[in-house]
Amino acid sequence: MAAVIFFVAAALAVIGGIGVIISRQPIRSVLSLVVVMIALSVEFLLLSAQFIFVVQIIVYAGAVMVLFLFVIALLGPARELGRGRLRFQSWLSLLFVAVFFGLIYAMFQGITYRQPDKADLSVFGTVQSIAVGLFTNYLYPFELTSILLLVAAIGAVYLSRRDLR
Amino acid sequence: MSSFDVGGSTLDVSWFLLLAAILFTLGTIGVLVRRNPLVILICIELMLNAVNLTLIAFSRQLQNIDGQLFALMSMTVAAAEAVVGLAILVDIFRVRDVEDVDDLSEMSG
Repeated sequence: MAAVIFFVAAALAVIGGIGVIISRQPIRSVLSLVVVMIALSVEFLLLSAQFIFVVQIIVYAGAVMVLFLFVIALLGPARELGRGRLRFQSWLSLLFVAVFFGLIYAMFQGITYRQPDKADLSVFGTVQSIAVGLFTNYLYPFELTSILLLVAAIGAVYLSRRDLR
Repeated sequence: MSSFDVGGSTLDVSWFLLLAAILFTLGTIGVLVRRNPLVILICIELMLNAVNLTLIAFSRQLQNIDGQLFALMSMTVAAAEAVVGLAILVDIFRVRDVEDVDDLSEMSG
């Protein structure tokens, strides 16, 4: 059953990913990306990452994608019309990306896994276990992310001021 | 050694890694081929998501929670990146319409 769920979600994610890059209108790219995010959240659930699953849906599929939709609504539907000036680069980049994928694939084949840590899988990935890690071992990076978000918020407000010039 | 049981059936970590590789590659294609700056930002989000899947897959395989914590951090960084990138984009679009990132070449001197 879990394998079926995996393959259905994986197919949805790949279809959504293809939709992201072939859609002419940005709004369709965003909606395809929402499909990818939700499919990936199902994969996270299969990997017993319950908390990341919820965060993925709320923060990514919810907040970040709505931000993109707002910006598209603000800027208007900018379609990609005609051909770019550097058309030959597209085909060259496809070649490079194919080689890149081959490299990643070859790298994955050579992985040797170390012995698992034998964690208690009944609480693995719950809010509690995430919080214990976040507030003990990783307290310093966790506090630094709050500064990062503050800087990003200030930067966004500053950049969108009207009387800048 | 790379498989684990979920709800009675066996999943293999390499499937998740392959899915992440495919999604990352699709994102790379998008960044390289698409010309709308907004779509390029969207494709970067796609690549970040693929990396998160890799982190969480390894976290499950090694039964170590650190990978999930790192994925959480990377989500925060992705959100901050999207906010600043979109603010810059709105600022550029306020001055003029950009339908090709190759037009934004003022800083090349």
